[in-house]
Amino acid sequence: MKLGILFSGGKDSYLAMHLASEDHEISCLLTMKSSNQDSWMFHTPAITWTNLQAESMGIPQIIQETEGIQDDELDDLFTLIKKAKEDFSIQGIVTGALASTYQSTRIQKICNKLNLWCFNPLWQLSQEKLLKKIQTHNISSIITGVAAEPFDESWLGKEIDSSTINELLLYSKKYRINPAGEGGEFESLVINAPMFSKKLEILSSIIHYSNFSGRLEIMEAELK
Amino acid sequence: MKILLISTCKEKLSEYEFVNPIIEIIKSFDYDLINYRNLDTFDFQRYEKIIICGTSLQDNDYLNYLLDFNKLKNHGKDILGICSGFQIICSIFSEEIIVQEQIGMVNVETQIQNPLASGNFQAYNMHNFSVGEVTSFSVLAKSENTIQMISHKKFNAFGVSFHPEVRNQEIITNFLLI
Repeated sequence: MKLGILFSGGKDSYLAMHLASEDHEISCLLTMKSSNQDSWMFHTPAITWTNLQAESMGIPQIIQETEGIQDDELDDLFTLIKKAKEDFSIQGIVTGALASTYQSTRIQKICNKLNLWCFNPLWQLSQEKLLKKIQTHNISSIITGVAAEPFDESWLGKEIDSSTINELLLYSKKYRINPAGEGGEFESLVINAPMFSKKLEILSSIIHYSNFSGRLEIMEAELK
Repeated sequence: MKILLISTCKEKLSEYEFVNPIIEIIKSFDYDLINYRNLDTFDFQRYEKIIICGTSLQDNDYLNYLLDFNKLKNHGKDILGICSGFQIICSIFSEEIIVQEQIGMVNVETQIQNPLASGNFQAYNMHNFSVGEVTSFSVLAKSENTIQMISHKKFNAFGVSFHPEVRNQEIITNFLLI
């Protein structure tokens, strides 16, 4: 089946794509670029750099700009998925949705309206198992945004490796956060993974941070 | 107790979403998993509980294999059908399936005291088909316009049109405890 991936550039959408690629053809990446940092549906600080990820994987990408206003952004998502169906003849969409019925309901409705399959291979996966899968699938990612206690600014740009995962698991007990960031505690950007031909290297970045909330603004990056 | 889990997913990729979360709930029990395409010569007798899982909204391939599910009618063991499994149970007992899209959380109200659920609760629905009226089954729970839970009047066959693995896991564990 030819599939389009709803791709934010983070660890979850990459893992969902990786699982889908085991039996299906990945035809294109679909990326929503929201100007609203508080969007309920699409909120990834480093979304601009997904074009380099797409280039590294050799997969075409369609980008849809959205103001991120509730309901309007769903119209923009519909436009994006419809375009992917028309341009790439995809038969289904893959998402990295884990637990949010708010997000999954809306994406399922759009796919159903367009007669597309909707695959959510991470659905209901526990946070601990998700982190384990990220490791076993050799997905290297960094943290590009934080929005919860106890994350200080040293977390911005930190690679999610085994020691970071151990820290996240400890924090999940102590501070009751979701250790894989499902509640929006942090956002990630994949910098290297098995489907990449070249690694994404960040050459310069600026940290914006205050009171347990911050983002890594990547100024310059390249494939190496 | 031996449990049989029947996948109604045509695509393996759908099983991550519709089968694995149920395995997560029943994993402490002894269970086997089988796909609906391999049921024709399958012997159900070794199992005390059978759960028929749901599948993707676009996936209707299981409808081509309904005859293979007919053996369940005389199985005499406990059956729980989820979403497409609900439609399969209704079909083998000759209930009429109707077109009815329902996607998202709905409020469900219990109608009859039963071993699976009680009171009012929210449930995650995702289906394009349902049943209008049932004759062989009792309606255990309803949402505003839809039958949400049924049980057969003679056999221990239950159906839920929603996905209990998403927000109502206790319905699956209650089924195992019957």
